[in-house]
Amino acid sequence: MFLETKGLTKRFGGLTAVNHFDMYVNKGEIVGLIGPNGAGKTTIFNLITGFIRLTKGQIIFDGKDITRKKPHQVARLGIGRTFQLNPLFADFTVLQNVSASFHLHPRSSLLDIYFNTKKYRRNEAYILEQSLEIMRLVGLDKVKDELAKNLPHGYQKMLGIARALAVKPKLLLLDEPIAGMNPDEIEFTMTGIEKTKQQGTTIVVVEHNMRIMDLCDRVVVINFGQKIAEGRPKEVRENEEVTRAYFGDEHVAGS
Amino acid sequence: MELAVATITNLLILSSMYILVALGFAFLFNMLGIPNFAHGAIYMLGGYIGLALISAVGINQWAALIIAAVAMGAFGVFLERFCFRPFVGDFNRIIMVCVAVIVILQTSVNIIVGTQIVSLPPFAEGVLRIGLVSVSYERIATFAVGAFLLGAVVWFVNRTKWGQQMQAISQDIEGAFLQGIKVHRISALASFIGCALAAIAGCMIGAYLSLGPFMGDFMLVKVLILAILSGVGSISGIFIAGLVLGALDSILPLFISGAASDAVAVGIVVVLLLIRPQGFFGHEAEM
Amino acid sequence: MIKQLSITDKRKWTKPSILAGLVVLIALLPVIHGSSYITHIFILTFIYIIAAVSLRTITISGQFPLAHGAFMGIGAYIAGMASKWLGWPPWLTMPLGGLMAMGIGMLIGYPFARLRALYYAMGSLFFGIGVTYIIYAGGIWTGGYAGLVGIQSMFGSSKVAYYYFFLGLTVVCLLALYRFEFSRIGITLKAIAQSHLVASSVGINEGWYRIMVVGVGCFFAGLAGAGYAHYNTVLSPASFGFMATLWLVMYVLLGGIKSFAGPIIGTTILVLLPEFARDLKVYSPYLSAFLLLIVVFLMPQGLVSLPKLVMSWYSERKKGKKITHVPGN
Repeated sequence: MFLETKGLTKRFGGLTAVNHFDMYVNKGEIVGLIGPNGAGKTTIFNLITGFIRLTKGQIIFDGKDITRKKPHQVARLGIGRTFQLNPLFADFTVLQNVSASFHLHPRSSLLDIYFNTKKYRRNEAYILEQSLEIMRLVGLDKVKDELAKNLPHGYQKMLGIARALAVKPKLLLLDEPIAGMNPDEIEFTMTGIEKTKQQGTTIVVVEHNMRIMDLCDRVVVINFGQKIAEGRPKEVRENEEVTRAYFGDEHVAGS
Repeated sequence: MELAVATITNLLILSSMYILVALGFAFLFNMLGIPNFAHGAIYMLGGYIGLALISAVGINQWAALIIAAVAMGAFGVFLERFCFRPFVGDFNRIIMVCVAVIVILQTSVNIIVGTQIVSLPPFAEGVLRIGLVSVSYERIATFAVGAFLLGAVVWFVNRTKWGQQMQAISQDIEGAFLQGIKVHRISALASFIGCALAAIAGCMIGAYLSLGPFMGDFMLVKVLILAILSGVGSISGIFIAGLVLGALDSILPLFISGAASDAVAVGIVVVLLLIRPQGFFGHEAEM
Repeated sequence: MIKQLSITDKRKWTKPSILAGLVVLIALLPVIHGSSYITHIFILTFIYIIAAVSLRTITISGQFPLAHGAFMGIGAYIAGMASKWLGWPPWLTMPLGGLMAMGIGMLIGYPFARLRALYYAMGSLFFGIGVTYIIYAGGIWTGGYAGLVGIQSMFGSSKVAYYYFFLGLTVVCLLALYRFEFSRIGITLKAIAQSHLVASSVGINEGWYRIMVVGVGCFFAGLAGAGYAHYNTVLSPASFGFMATLWLVMYVLLGGIKSFAGPIIGTTILVLLPEFARDLKVYSPYLSAFLLLIVVFLMPQGLVSLPKLVMSWYSERKKGKKITHVPGN
């Protein structure tokens, strides 16, 4: 098991947002974490990546206990993520967004950076090259010099993914990557996710759009902070409780 | 015993004056998010205008008090309308405007009066004696004016339509606007009241202590302390914080030097800020 | 990320050459005017430029501390006291002043870092005020209200020597701060300012970076203060209080907070102009206030944006078209 959560619980005052959530992800899989709005999916991501502190439970990644780790430490261990509301470095260009995200790999020491050593210059050249590569991968290379805040919504989401890739993640957590996208963009993104998986990255995708299930090896369904179903996409699709959770809530699937 | 009485009256006067001035700052800050750093200078100018009216024009102190209040109130309306309202939310521009106002006001006072210490004539003469205890009527009058005005403000904010609209604006400015409250008029009114109160405090302190070119800076620090301790949006918090600060400022100097007690007071404020930055009474600021 | 021009390419050397020429010109000034008073004003300008630029450096991380005058004061008083009570020479006291300011800045920065903008600003404001009160309450050691006297002078009565010393110091400090900002360190700081969430998620330890940049900014403020101590040989707490901090902020805002040259321009204008308009005498502060108001109402991005504004106004007239926004802000 590459990633495992044991008894993950988060309480905000009187509200239990996540309730004894157990989940595992195997290396190389794409796991979908789906559920209606407010089910707790993003909270789980925030707990795993250290942005909020959990009330109870344990998180184990690649053999290491990361329960108490801070976000930048989690990133350093190889977990990259996107955010639901997709914050960006708004005043940076697309290229700057990506290259600024190459903070970890390769790492130049402060002294190297400040004194502009050979090693630093080599690293920067490499970073530039890699940034262009990633942007080509997500289709942003044509707009590399545009300010991030001026991009259309779909492009901004791609930029979010590009940024997460700069961390060279072993595990990639995608929070609603296709929300708000038009069908072409969705197609493109799903292909991209598939390609990333083929390169060996393990992926967990949070979505409330059921289309994502087509990509996944396994799906975990959550509602009111609890796991209500788990299994292969086909099995889950036919699960009664899942359908109730979705359609009983007047939830409209798809974008 | 004399000391106790003097300390208590001093405490009451300082507290009430701090609160009077801080209220003016808090009005603009709570309602529009504007930190009026020039408020100390307004307090100072109010005092000097009072002095000018009394010594140059020769009118009675109480009349001078009222005229100074109205004058600074009008100035406050002008400031709010033309120097603050266009820049709401732009912290950088607002502090620049405030510094410009401070410089203009301080320089003008420097030029006209110079830097020597002057003071207003006392607002009341004589001493009241009750048994072993004696208190000057001046102290009584100063505190009485302060208490009366504070009571008036409390009544105004809670019991009048305008005051309630002020509260509504400071809680949710958009909601208030959508409800039909004329935000611009209320903020102008609040500015008028706030600056008038500051001017009155300036005159009273000018009589009780003295006027000086740095009294504005001194008062601004107190005002900011009260504002931050009470938290955004709370008027009652200012009263409590004002009492606490007034107490610190009157009691501490009895035991340690003036500068040291200032340092202790600010130190306490810093610690409190770290413990509970949003203040003890208000709601969270959005910035 | 930035197009690297080959070292022999002429274009790479234009800007540095102009700047070098400017420095040479400034170096020649004392010879040209020969006025001790003007030299004195320039020395003060140099000192405040170091402080103003280092203040702005802190702001690129999104933090807006309001205590920079106090950190100058810490550097000044530490250096002054070390000089007066321990007999240390300037070349020791100055780094000491800088390091103490840096240390205290980072120590204070640590608990303050997690506060949000408004509370951070207020907290630093009160901290700065508290520092001046502590200096006032320092009794014999700091000289209290009377001030600290008897600090060792660096170059005796030769103002010109001080001039070249501070000119050199300013150039070195500016180069150091420039490199800091335009290397990956600066980019990381600017990233943190734009989104600390994203920054954390790509492995940036934003808490550490925030404290680090405060340390750097405070070091230079302390250094500038220490230099001042050995120049003036007399210190007064009032020079490092709330108003001093506010003026440093004005220097930065007047020039333009978004550009490296901004605080340099702002300081120069706000310090030099009133002096050269000396006919105004007592009225000179009005000039400063007027300048501030002009920037507030006409060029909120600061004086550095003046060329851009003029050009867009000019091209607007030429083309007769309406421009709806100023590009490149």
